[in-house]
Amino acid sequence: MQQKRHDSSDCFPSLLYEILQNTSREKILSKKLNAMISLAILLVSSNFVVFQVHAAAPTDTFAVGWNGPPMDTINPMLVTVYDGGAYMVNHAMYDKLVQADSNGDPAPDLADSWEWKDAQTVVFHLVHNATWHDGVPFTAADAEFTINLIIANKDFFPLMRTYVTSVDSAKALDDYTLQINLKNPDAKFLQASLIMTYIVPKHIWEKVGNYTSYANENPIGTGPFKFVRWEPNSFVEFDANPDYFRGPPHVKHLTMRYFSSVNAMILALQSGEIHATGPILPPTVVPLMTSNPGIQVISRPDLRYYYFNFNAFANGTGNPTLRDERVRRALAYAIDKKTLAQTVWQGFADVLNSIMPTALGKWHNPNTPDIPFDLDKAAQMLDEAGYKVGADGIRISPDGVKMIYKIQVPSSYQEELRAAQMVAEWWSKINVKGIPELVEVGALGDIVVNWKHDTFIWVWSATSTDPDDFLLVFTTEQICVPGCMSDSGFSDPEYDQLYQQQLQATDAVQRQQIVWKMQDIVAEHVPYVPLYNNYAIQGFRSDLFTGLPQGIVPPVSQFAGNNLFVNVRPVVPVTTETTQMTTQITTQTTTTQAEVIPTATIAAVIVIVIVLALVGVLLMRRRKPAS
Amino acid sequence: MDTEYVVKKVAQTLATIFFVLTFNFFLFRILPGNPFALLFRGPGFSREAVNLLNAQFGLDQPVWVQYIRYLENTAKGNLGLSYTTRAPVANMLFPRLMNSLVLLLTANVISIVIGIVLGIVSAWRRGGRTDLTLSASTLLLYSMPTFWLGLVLLFAGVVYFGLPVAGMTTLGANLTNWFDYVGDLLRHMVLPGLTLVLGLVGQYVLVMKGALLDVFTEDYMITARAKGISTQKLLWNHAMRNATLPIITLIAINLGLTVGGAIQTETVFSWPGIGLLTYQALLQRDYPMLQGCFLVIAIAVILANFVADLTYGYLDPRVRTG
Repeated sequence: MQQKRHDSSDCFPSLLYEILQNTSREKILSKKLNAMISLAILLVSSNFVVFQVHAAAPTDTFAVGWNGPPMDTINPMLVTVYDGGAYMVNHAMYDKLVQADSNGDPAPDLADSWEWKDAQTVVFHLVHNATWHDGVPFTAADAEFTINLIIANKDFFPLMRTYVTSVDSAKALDDYTLQINLKNPDAKFLQASLIMTYIVPKHIWEKVGNYTSYANENPIGTGPFKFVRWEPNSFVEFDANPDYFRGPPHVKHLTMRYFSSVNAMILALQSGEIHATGPILPPTVVPLMTSNPGIQVISRPDLRYYYFNFNAFANGTGNPTLRDERVRRALAYAIDKKTLAQTVWQGFADVLNSIMPTALGKWHNPNTPDIPFDLDKAAQMLDEAGYKVGADGIRISPDGVKMIYKIQVPSSYQEELRAAQMVAEWWSKINVKGIPELVEVGALGDIVVNWKHDTFIWVWSATSTDPDDFLLVFTTEQICVPGCMSDSGFSDPEYDQLYQQQLQATDAVQRQQIVWKMQDIVAEHVPYVPLYNNYAIQGFRSDLFTGLPQGIVPPVSQFAGNNLFVNVRPVVPVTTETTQMTTQITTQTTTTQAEVIPTATIAAVIVIVIVLALVGVLLMRRRKPAS
Repeated sequence: MDTEYVVKKVAQTLATIFFVLTFNFFLFRILPGNPFALLFRGPGFSREAVNLLNAQFGLDQPVWVQYIRYLENTAKGNLGLSYTTRAPVANMLFPRLMNSLVLLLTANVISIVIGIVLGIVSAWRRGGRTDLTLSASTLLLYSMPTFWLGLVLLFAGVVYFGLPVAGMTTLGANLTNWFDYVGDLLRHMVLPGLTLVLGLVGQYVLVMKGALLDVFTEDYMITARAKGISTQKLLWNHAMRNATLPIITLIAINLGLTVGGAIQTETVFSWPGIGLLTYQALLQRDYPMLQGCFLVIAIAVILANFVADLTYGYLDPRVRTG
């Protein structure tokens, strides 16, 4: 048979051109290709065009999307991190003794009121009407059991353990009175620790043999929602608890779904498949949400800050020039924090002058002297300190050590790599060499713990508005080999003294003054260059639901307190409710006004595709060959 | 079929599996960064707690003791406890494997059927406009990054067709009716399935076309034509029989690889499969889970190749006697 010799592997673009230009009747396929390409181009460019959110049908199921660490356990004791999905799902089912109000101060939860008998003893008066999801009444025995359970198993409860470090014991004085004895005075015990500690039922948990891997298949809590079912790392479904002691929630169902792609999550928010996002969104998706009238974007400073660290530890193996305070100060003059905040966070961050995040309100000292961006001053300081420029263009210390530093960024904060690169660029202008490097987070942890680093960019975060966590890092006792929490080697006796004072201070004003002074001391010696306090950004479908938290409520990047789940309600009350209707009212139909493809059509399409394939094969077999 | 051939193949498969087991074990021991060390950076873990965890997971034993225990446990089906959930790895792994298989087997079957048909068409009309169009468009699809293609389809599907954004099921809907459940599943499978099919079909078209063209140039084709055999018989009894062999290899390899899950597709559509599980375990440095995933994927590929070898031996006499 004759065959046209045409090698289709050459001149691919011209082939495409030929195909696209051809309009003869036989070229139905190429027309389709043309259309496909146009559609693809259209779709790509329209990726940044926001489509109008059409009014979605009211629903009484509050759907939450989650893009952080997935929900991997429904056992509140085995939760590993407080900003993961697992912590959040337990939030809907379990309560704590106290919660945080909008100022971050302790407010009643399972405990109605409390008083401090002395600096180490606090007595709680518990609510009388709380019940577990299986109907058994909640009593002080459950709280006593839980706290003692955590203490007894603290090596296996990685997160809960951290909240009872200052607790000696808990005792139920009667059915609704609980006394907690602390090992040492801890002024912030309630708002930093107790607000995070879930209370579990004694009558179920005391029968568990092995606590290290208890699955907790059917969780029973006192919370506003009851567990229905879940798929690990995928989703959890809840039903409202009508007997919740603060009154039943205003939505009938709650669902939480894990999204592995933030783009998909925003799309789901826009289409109404979910009504809230968590934990926080990157600033780049904000334009996709703000142009939608149905979506409200909430952003507020998160309880964390990014910092640039110097290894100033005398026994470390990093570049020894960093142990010279003048060097650190000069290098700090060569970092433009405002530009970094703008580049990495698009302005969704507060530039910091001190090691306390602005999110902590009154604890942040606005008067701590800031180091402005001044390359000339930096160069001058280094010259004066004797760090002259060498023959290769890099400054050398009087001892002959070159000013070459690795700037390491953990893989969990990849966006900071850009910041590291910019710092290296500024440093090169003052003849200092910075080497930006992205390091796997576990490996960087090892490096830092062994004091092998030069400089790095990382984050400190906390779960409460109490400043203690942010101050602890700079105490002398946190310097260990291998490392504890200190990663700069900063040590100052006056600072250590003030730290103890603020821990025991009873007067808030006095404590604030101490905390402010501590920030000044740290700023003087520049173990860090504090960079910025980024904002937690979240999106809500405010056209469908109301009652959403507006301010900082610790732990701020989560749906904090029980408030969200208890207060959220549909904007338009859902009146019609039958068991059959539930399937219809849920997310499938709450999309744009384009048609929804019914199941039968999809099945038909698949069948047709297969049939067409077979028909094609049959046709092929009957075709007469060209001679 | 020749017993010796089968025995040889079985022995090879077992040897490969053993090698994979060993390699799997040592691979995770040489990675930098003890996962527990990272927990130091919070006020959480004490040194004692880390030592206890190390003991619990047997990380304080000498390496060869860990290796023996690992082999014993794997033989019993105990793939260890996940670092993050402290639950058995196997409990999470196998359901997710099923989820992946549902999606990927469907996508593969459709791609195979469409690919073979289009490949035949393309080979039969070689040089013609149909061929050029098909080759060009399948190459275009094949070279598109899966992630991008998935996002584009996600956007189009949700905005214009109201398809669901993520997952396998609709939340909050208690679908007890079997038909409803399958319908819901199909709705969720459309977009990820389409992404996969568009990406896979190109391979099958090109391989089918290449194999057929090779066969067309063989002497026996000219002989058969000279004997007056009809086109239909020519295509099916002579050409296709011999051209199917490369396709079977490709199918076997692809089906083995499907177990690895299409990580990119699963990530875009949040499909709870084994690919996404591997990725999550990687992010959380959950080594036992990662080890389990790698093991399952490797064994699936090995088994798929074993089946391919046997099929090959059955279909092609030259292989089993040569």
